[in-house]
Amino acid sequence: MSPVKLPAPPSDASFSSRLRSAAVAARVGMALGICFGIAFLTGLISHYAQNVSQPIPFPTSPSWGYRVTQGLHVTTGTACVPLLLVKLWTVYPKLFQRPPKGARKLLLEGLERASIGVLVASAIFQLASGLANVTEWYPWDFSFRPTHYAMAWIVIGSLVVHIAVKLPIIRGALTSDVDDTTYDRPSATKRGDLSRRGLLRATWVATGVAVLATAGNTVPFLRKISIFAPHSGEGPQDLPVTKSAVAAGVTSTALSAAYRLEIVHGDTTVTMSREQLLGMEQQTETLPIACVEGWSANGEWTGVRLRALLDLVDAPAGSDVFVTSLQEKGAFRHSTLQGNFVDDDRTTLALMLNGEPLAIDHGYPARIIAPDRPGVLQTKWVTKLEVLS
Amino acid sequence: MRTRLLIGGVGLVVGGFGAYLLLSRQDHDQLFSAAVWLASGVVLHDFVLAPLLLLLLALGGRAVPAAFRAPAVVGLVVLGTATVLAIPVLTGMGVRSDNPSLLNRNYTVGWLVLAGLVVLAVAVGGLVRRRKQLRT
Repeated sequence: MSPVKLPAPPSDASFSSRLRSAAVAARVGMALGICFGIAFLTGLISHYAQNVSQPIPFPTSPSWGYRVTQGLHVTTGTACVPLLLVKLWTVYPKLFQRPPKGARKLLLEGLERASIGVLVASAIFQLASGLANVTEWYPWDFSFRPTHYAMAWIVIGSLVVHIAVKLPIIRGALTSDVDDTTYDRPSATKRGDLSRRGLLRATWVATGVAVLATAGNTVPFLRKISIFAPHSGEGPQDLPVTKSAVAAGVTSTALSAAYRLEIVHGDTTVTMSREQLLGMEQQTETLPIACVEGWSANGEWTGVRLRALLDLVDAPAGSDVFVTSLQEKGAFRHSTLQGNFVDDDRTTLALMLNGEPLAIDHGYPARIIAPDRPGVLQTKWVTKLEVLS
Repeated sequence: MRTRLLIGGVGLVVGGFGAYLLLSRQDHDQLFSAAVWLASGVVLHDFVLAPLLLLLLALGGRAVPAAFRAPAVVGLVVLGTATVLAIPVLTGMGVRSDNPSLLNRNYTVGWLVLAGLVVLAVAVGGLVRRRKQLRT
């Protein structure tokens, strides 16, 4: 009996398409790097906006600022999906490259491969966790915000290391024609059905489709064509909801006749019913809800200027306010409204939305709405405002 | 070379900061879950998705007529990446009965429309190419 001969494991020489080249990888990688860069910076903005302590006050204007930065965050992250998939395809043969001979070379290549392993793993992690998170699907045990934040630094760090390692090739590939063969693997000579230019165009088209298919989440005129947007834009009173009254467990307390708003400053407490709040001077502001999950929409909010409520307890200007919701569990039943948001004239304790009493899912009996803030901090079902000294 | 070392050093510091943030703010179970997710992404791509694509391309190379191959590859890039992207909305794992404003489109129909458009574009592209080839 002759011994069974196993086929040789694939090596990088097994891949013959000339599309799998540094010329294509550098071009797609450039677009990918830009998108990851924008997602990182806008992510930092969002992270800072959610910090309780803000040594540099987060600006309250323009009111749509966070809407734009968070929309960009989710959109550029989405655009990274086709870019990353194509990028990984072009460099896939590298995975099977045989290790070099000689201890020093082996060590250097081992380090480079380790850095690429970190980059690929963390990049896929960011896109996968982000995509799941925008649909409020959390199939994991880690805490999303700190993990996504930490991993962002890891992606960018390993990306910068990768750029440093590849800089001469990147520079060479980007300054020569896309069909130039200087940096090609020796085996990558097979002309397929598609040219390198063709593959690049296909990648840009795929990226455009990915953006159009999801951006309606935050860009109103794209709503009709955004077939994969997690929110169609419809919802109670024409506004989507992230956390419902049922999920927050407030269906009975929010509708109870015993509901009161407490405003506390030191020893002074003022208690008001919703009717008394409606009896105060009302203002109407058009402000967006811009959710960290990437959807956003404008609403017309009517209610009492927050500052007017704090004047009832003689709160000094610039005071931070600790807001408590009827919601009994969860990280966002409290929020801290920094002094600059408290004092902004547009910041409203909203009682009405788009001309109707607030729907319970939008925070009935009363919610906070302030300009340029992440949606999670626009606390709903507000029952207590405490002036912090 | 000095520039590259400098850039690489910056990258190490930034990445190291991320590793510190990751390891210092959560308990063991949470870190284990994050590690599983980190590893599965790479394994799923390198050893499931990429080989599947190789297989698909090998089969497609035989089954698809020459004039239609280039348009078909473009179609595959567009539809394939869009499908990966749409996994969370297509599976609808985040759907909640208490929140009808979330995941409230018919994503399957959306995907079918996109797939139909891609197939149409591939067919038109292939026919145009075939006619060009016949003329020359």
